[in-house]
Amino acid sequence: MTNVSFGKYLLNFGFGTKEEKKDVLRKNSDRKIVMDLTCYDPAEFYNEFPQLVGTFAALFADESKKTEIHFRERSEEVVSKLKELGFQPVETTVVSCGFIFPRTIVQIINEACFALEEEVASASDIDRAMKFGVNYPKGPFEWLSGRKEYVRVLLAELLLKTGDQRYRASNLLK
Amino acid sequence: MKIEKVVVIGAGTMGSGIAQWFAQELCSVELVDNSSEQLERAKKSIFDSWNKLVLKEKLTSIQAEKMKKLIEFKSLDTVTKNADLVIEAIIENLEIKKDLFQKLDGYFSEHTILSSNTSSFPIHLMAEAVTLARRKNFVGLHFFNPATIMKLVEVIKGKESSEEICEELYQWFDSKGKKPAMCKDSPGFIVNRVARNFYGEPLRIVDEENEEKMKEVDRILKEVGGFKMGPFELMDLIGIDVNYSVTCSVWEAYEKEPRFAPHRLQKKMVDEKRFGRKSKRGYYKYD
Repeated sequence: MTNVSFGKYLLNFGFGTKEEKKDVLRKNSDRKIVMDLTCYDPAEFYNEFPQLVGTFAALFADESKKTEIHFRERSEEVVSKLKELGFQPVETTVVSCGFIFPRTIVQIINEACFALEEEVASASDIDRAMKFGVNYPKGPFEWLSGRKEYVRVLLAELLLKTGDQRYRASNLLK
Repeated sequence: MKIEKVVVIGAGTMGSGIAQWFAQELCSVELVDNSSEQLERAKKSIFDSWNKLVLKEKLTSIQAEKMKKLIEFKSLDTVTKNADLVIEAIIENLEIKKDLFQKLDGYFSEHTILSSNTSSFPIHLMAEAVTLARRKNFVGLHFFNPATIMKLVEVIKGKESSEEICEELYQWFDSKGKKPAMCKDSPGFIVNRVARNFYGEPLRIVDEENEEKMKEVDRILKEVGGFKMGPFELMDLIGIDVNYSVTCSVWEAYEKEPRFAPHRLQKKMVDEKRFGRKSKRGYYKYD
């Protein structure tokens, strides 16, 4: 994880366990914090930490660095800082475990992994099918590349939060 | 592999699109349908499309005329028996398809590859309708709409399909600019299986009838995810009834695996006849 401090704000980037993320919040109770919570439920953190004023999901951002961000307390300074750091914040009002894009994409990736595990097709043919059959901007395995841990953790979190077996991860992600 | 003579059975949207694509690849095509009115409509649609391409200077009139000569519109009993490839694109009804394949098996020559453009039935079930000798030449070829534009063709290996024929078909489509994907004969093949969660997960994120929230999810998936359409606007375009039926069929085929479970909102929309754009009311209103 990386922290960037400016004015009264602290921006927390990168992947961490839920406890590591909460530790950052506990240790910075006097700051206004905006944190990357791609793999977790922002509502749980908002309830526990009043100093958390915004959350974002940058772990699945592509080269454009477009990043979903939710503000409990909107700050133009934070938006400008994120832009200065190369991000393109896209604001949302929807609070959901795993946000909107990461939550949707991990389920697509998980299904592609199940299909690969069952030898329905090769990873490259699955990517090709999704890109050229339904115009996905990337194939599921292209999205997965370098993000296996995030996918696994977010699926585990969704399973924990909902108890719904639809979030059970493919063996290829374990 | 040489594919020069193609027969496409079923002159609906998919069948005529597939026939048009093969003619554009300079194959000799016979488009077949029971209904002469349907054949007339398909002919008009294909020829109009080529005429428009000429106007847009994407085709020369010489090319368009050549293609028009390559495609014929016929009834089944008048088509060539020595076609290289037959593609079935009729109604999604297993019994009707099996009856058809039984007839086709007796009609076409030994070397003809029989294929189905089905999106919902296992290839091996349809292959039961043909003789053991034909089964190696029996495959799934799943095109995507519009077939002249969408590059994917799922090449589906049935239990008894010849590996070699599937591989040759894959190479042939690849050489013609399509993007083939080889896949096993399993429910939903690749796309209709993996794409289920593009709808199922946003439905669970929204979880209620809330147009503003749906708009927000659509916007984020387009803006952040790079998808061309959001899931709710896409379901409204495809038809919520059609999308719900595919979801249920994949869910049933996987013995009600929770990953494919339909969401209660999908059923509610169908029960209320809110099918999307075609009924002017779906997840969004179209007045």
